[in-house]
Amino acid sequence: MGIFDPIDLKGKLTLWAGAVAFLMITVIPASSSAGNVEQGEKIATTRKLGNCVACHYLPNVESPGDIGPNLVEAMQEYTMADRDDVAQWIRDAREFNPGTIMPPFGTNKILTPEQIDDLVAYLYTLKK
Amino acid sequence: MKTNISIAATMLMAPAALLLVLGVISPWNRVQAATQSEDTIEELTPSMSYEEYQKRYEKYYGDATARMAEEGNPADFLLDDGKELAGTVAGSKGKSCASCHGKDALQLKGKATDYPKYNADLKGIMTLPLQINICREKQMGAEPLKYESYDQLALTMYIKSLSNGLPIKVSIDGPAKPFYEKGKAAYYKRRGQLNFSCAICHVEYAGYKARSNLISNNKHHADHWPSYRLKWGKTGSLQRRFRGCLKNMRAKRAAYQSEELRNLELYLTYINNGDLIQVPGMRM
Ligand code: HEC
Ligand code: HEC
Repeated sequence: MGIFDPIDLKGKLTLWAGAVAFLMITVIPASSSAGNVEQGEKIATTRKLGNCVACHYLPNVESPGDIGPNLVEAMQEYTMADRDDVAQWIRDAREFNPGTIMPPFGTNKILTPEQIDDLVAYLYTLKK
Repeated sequence: MKTNISIAATMLMAPAALLLVLGVISPWNRVQAATQSEDTIEELTPSMSYEEYQKRYEKYYGDATARMAEEGNPADFLLDDGKELAGTVAGSKGKSCASCHGKDALQLKGKATDYPKYNADLKGIMTLPLQINICREKQMGAEPLKYESYDQLALTMYIKSLSNGLPIKVSIDGPAKPFYEKGKAAYYKRRGQLNFSCAICHVEYAGYKARSNLISNNKHHADHWPSYRLKWGKTGSLQRRFRGCLKNMRAKRAAYQSEELRNLELYLTYINNGDLIQVPGMRM
């Protein structure tokens, strides 16, 4: 088997992919900003963006869905130390529940990392 | 020779690396693929009883659908037009449906109850709209009717109405079985950018609200098509509804009467066996 064997090539690509992903994973959180609360609210309530209100209760929204938990209540359980858990719920909730209905907003590139930061910032304003 | 190979390899690598940078071949996609295995269906259970679901449905819609029905169903026009079409000669052989199936095709009374069903020529699943088009092409020498066109819907509606009041009795025995399995797999398959499946909504979360839409339980999903739908302002088929949900899922929409949608129709209709056929239906 030569080194240009297609299978080898694929193996190499996997390694590359791993390396690039590792860089992406380690670099992106470091550059994450505090997030924009106003933008976050807009993302949560706009159909074409996060559309979180399709499933979750959020304040000041007409007829939110009831598929997921009420996010005002849910946020009371989180402290500032849990920011990354909240972000991970949005990035890919399958990490917590493999059979979840909640779309993997980060993994499937529905939202950008910046938009997810904005959402997290907004969600923390719901803490009483 | 060797240099040729390495040039070829570089040419392959460059676009692959680009795809990688663009995130098309990302390891995250692979993680996702791993949770979407098609051969193992973990059946879901509804998170509320059917009685509870009905209570919510009534609370949510009240008598809105009943009132809608009282004002008359715009799809009723398709019944008369479909009947007329069944007697209309078309194509090179000078025939109409009535030439083979009697006046007003009345010999087809009760014949829609076991559709969709396995067909040996197709080596797959035959649906009513597809059967109508195959009759037109093979028996009448006529053009097939475009799916979701007025005439196609009208003929399907009329022929189906000849089975009104009779229970659906679709068979999945023998050669139909693998197509049923494929249909079921399609119903459970996670797909699209939102990573939903039909089942996660219509089984597990039936009765909950997606924003202001009550998610329907799949118990009576197959008995009333074609239906007039207020949101469309038009009559459409079951497969049009499938494609609507697929669009909401941000998933690829298979073509009308494609193998995937026919198998899906077989699965959904089978699980509604016993429901009484009642067309035209009407929905929000
Ligand atoms: C299609 C439904 C759906 C959508 C859309 C959705 N979620 Fe969820 N979400 C759920 C469900 C259901 C849960 C409960 C956990 C589970 O079963 O996976 C959940 C859980 C959560 C949690 C954890 C709550 C807790 O109790 O700890 C957070 C935070 C959250 N969602 C935020 C969001 C945000 C922000 C968005 C929009 C960007 C969003 N969700 C969109 C269905 C959804
Ligand atoms: C995120 C939730 C969701 C997903 C995923 C979903 N649907 Fe739906 N579906 C709905 C809602 C909401 C309705 C509207 C109920 C109504 O018409 O009142 C609906 C309606 C339907 C109807 C019409 C029911 C009737 O009695 O008129 C059919 C049939 C249907 N869906 C099939 C499917 C199929 C097949 C899939 C997968 C390819 C699917 N759905 C995926 C939410 C969903």
